[in-house]
Amino acid sequence: MSVNHASSANTFNRDFDRTTWHDESLWFVRQKRDKAVFSVSEFQQLREVASNIKEHTLSSLDHYLIEFEQNALSNGVHVHWAANAQEHNQIILDILKQNKATRIVKSKSMLTEECHLNPFLKENGFDVVDTDLGERIIQFRNEPPSHIVMPAIHLKKEDVGKTFHEHLGTPANEKDPQRLTEAARQHLREKFVAAEVAITGVNFAIAETGSVVVCTNEGNADLGVTFAKVHIACMGIEKIIPKWQHLGVFTRVLARSATGQPITTYTSHFTKPRDGNEMHIVILDNGRTQQLGREDFRNSLKCIRCAACMNTCPVFRRSGGHSYGFTVPGPIGSILSPNLDLKKYSALPFASTLCGSCSDVCPVKIDIHVQLYKWRQIISKENALPISKRWSMKLLSTVLSRHGLYNLAGKIARFTLRWMPHSITHNTLLNSWAKSRELPHPPKESFGTWYQKNKLK
Amino acid sequence: MMNVRDRILSQIKVNKPSSLALNEIPVFMGDDSLTNFKKNLESISGQPIEVNSTNEVESIVNQLFPSAKKIASSIIPGTVSIDTSSDLVSLEQVEVAVLRGEFGVAENGAIWLPESNMINRSLPFIAQYLVLVLKKNDMVMNMHKAYERCRPGNYGSFIAGPSKTADIEQSLVIGAHGARSLTVILD
Ligand code: SF4
Repeated sequence: MSVNHASSANTFNRDFDRTTWHDESLWFVRQKRDKAVFSVSEFQQLREVASNIKEHTLSSLDHYLIEFEQNALSNGVHVHWAANAQEHNQIILDILKQNKATRIVKSKSMLTEECHLNPFLKENGFDVVDTDLGERIIQFRNEPPSHIVMPAIHLKKEDVGKTFHEHLGTPANEKDPQRLTEAARQHLREKFVAAEVAITGVNFAIAETGSVVVCTNEGNADLGVTFAKVHIACMGIEKIIPKWQHLGVFTRVLARSATGQPITTYTSHFTKPRDGNEMHIVILDNGRTQQLGREDFRNSLKCIRCAACMNTCPVFRRSGGHSYGFTVPGPIGSILSPNLDLKKYSALPFASTLCGSCSDVCPVKIDIHVQLYKWRQIISKENALPISKRWSMKLLSTVLSRHGLYNLAGKIARFTLRWMPHSITHNTLLNSWAKSRELPHPPKESFGTWYQKNKLK
Repeated sequence: MMNVRDRILSQIKVNKPSSLALNEIPVFMGDDSLTNFKKNLESISGQPIEVNSTNEVESIVNQLFPSAKKIASSIIPGTVSIDTSSDLVSLEQVEVAVLRGEFGVAENGAIWLPESNMINRSLPFIAQYLVLVLKKNDMVMNMHKAYERCRPGNYGSFIAGPSKTADIEQSLVIGAHGARSLTVILD
């Protein structure tokens, strides 16, 4: 089934107050980001440097992956390669079986979400406890994350209170974030110390040293990994950076772009396991090499998953992450997803105003809105457009390509807009754009006519 | 038949763009003063305390945590002994850990803590309260300088403030799973 962003967004928008609240929460994060970014005078230069490091890495990715693998192996780390989600999940299942593990904790990893690891392990009799607070909340509720940095941003404290009342026995109607967090702390610390296997994502993988870096604010990755006998770190091939020194650049831009913090609370570097323990790294392709081959879209692989493009996006803020139907929602997700399934995700590149705010805030300078536009071209060419868009686009292109028709259409519009009753121009069945919008006052004459009249003056 | 690894690598070789130069990172300067470090540490909910000598650390810890029974430390005598092979129960019960931070980063209040300073890998994270002791003059201005100074070792972490979360309605809560507070004693 293909994703219908517009209709899911519509459902989201039915609760007007909640939509406004969601919009404002994300805008608040965007403002914190601005404050943090503006306080670093060289921030624009840092974006340039970060982008160059990533672009360079992509241009020698095979070389750096080999270097990374060699160094990780000599650190005593096991390295696994997976072409797709199934292979990735199978590798993890095998490690769990070899270790006869039953107690498994996982810190936040969008990659394991992308692979639908939890349901796969569940089917095979393994329960995974998500330890990031936001992820634990949505795991209890059986929902996917709606945001890559703040997975439960769509929920209100009352919702969390209700969920914790059911699952953790907190008092009914408890909605104080402090007390709810304390309940989760008690519950999760038990899980940490008992864990046999800890699964984490990877923010950066350093070719030069074979280390992986994981950034959290809660400390849940470190708590999980340092107690468990086995650590499994899961990463996409694009997480590689060449040198240890490059971390200086990325740790300066990541948290500032994500939440407006100067750095995450814990920036942890895992290089060698403790004596007697095991460390595994699973390197996943899952469509990434294909994206690397698409000249117009390969830059999307520079992404460091800070979510700044989501927080700033007017469409994301008012439609919610779930409406995208893809693990990574928002602007970046809308250029990653069509690579995997053009038909299924054909609506997503249209879930944008092309205002370009995403590209403005992106710390690695991905031309997100340009790529959204380019996907639109491909989607219309391949006739994968959602039906509602198809006829209007065709009509528009006919009109725009014929001079006479364009002038005539303009005349008709100026006339009818002036005289047509509001009930017709704002009929939501005929014109969904008019919902909560007013049309501009139509000018008496077109720009063309005005120009003809005035150019001799 | 090629294995998965070789298949991925050969696909990359075919699909990657032509080689692009890696530029030098420009030298970025900044304020490496103690004042700047303290200001940034406070902004991330850490608490700086200046002392005149390392001898004062013990009394400060006692003042801050008068009822703490389980204090683990590599700097002061402490009340529980933790080592690399400590079991989880003893680790879980540690109330205060007092450890030596390698150096501070003035631009963001982070402190480098390599495994060799942790006593046990789990200790800085499982302890209810964390105290890091840091040399006053051991500050670098920014993360570029920080990564020039530290090496990967086996395991190490930049710790910037106490454990925190804002996952419930964006309200900042200090003390998510790790340390409920971070005190930095500058000696
Ligand atoms: S595309 Fe850029 S702004 Fe969006 S998540 Fe990735 S790095 Fe952040």
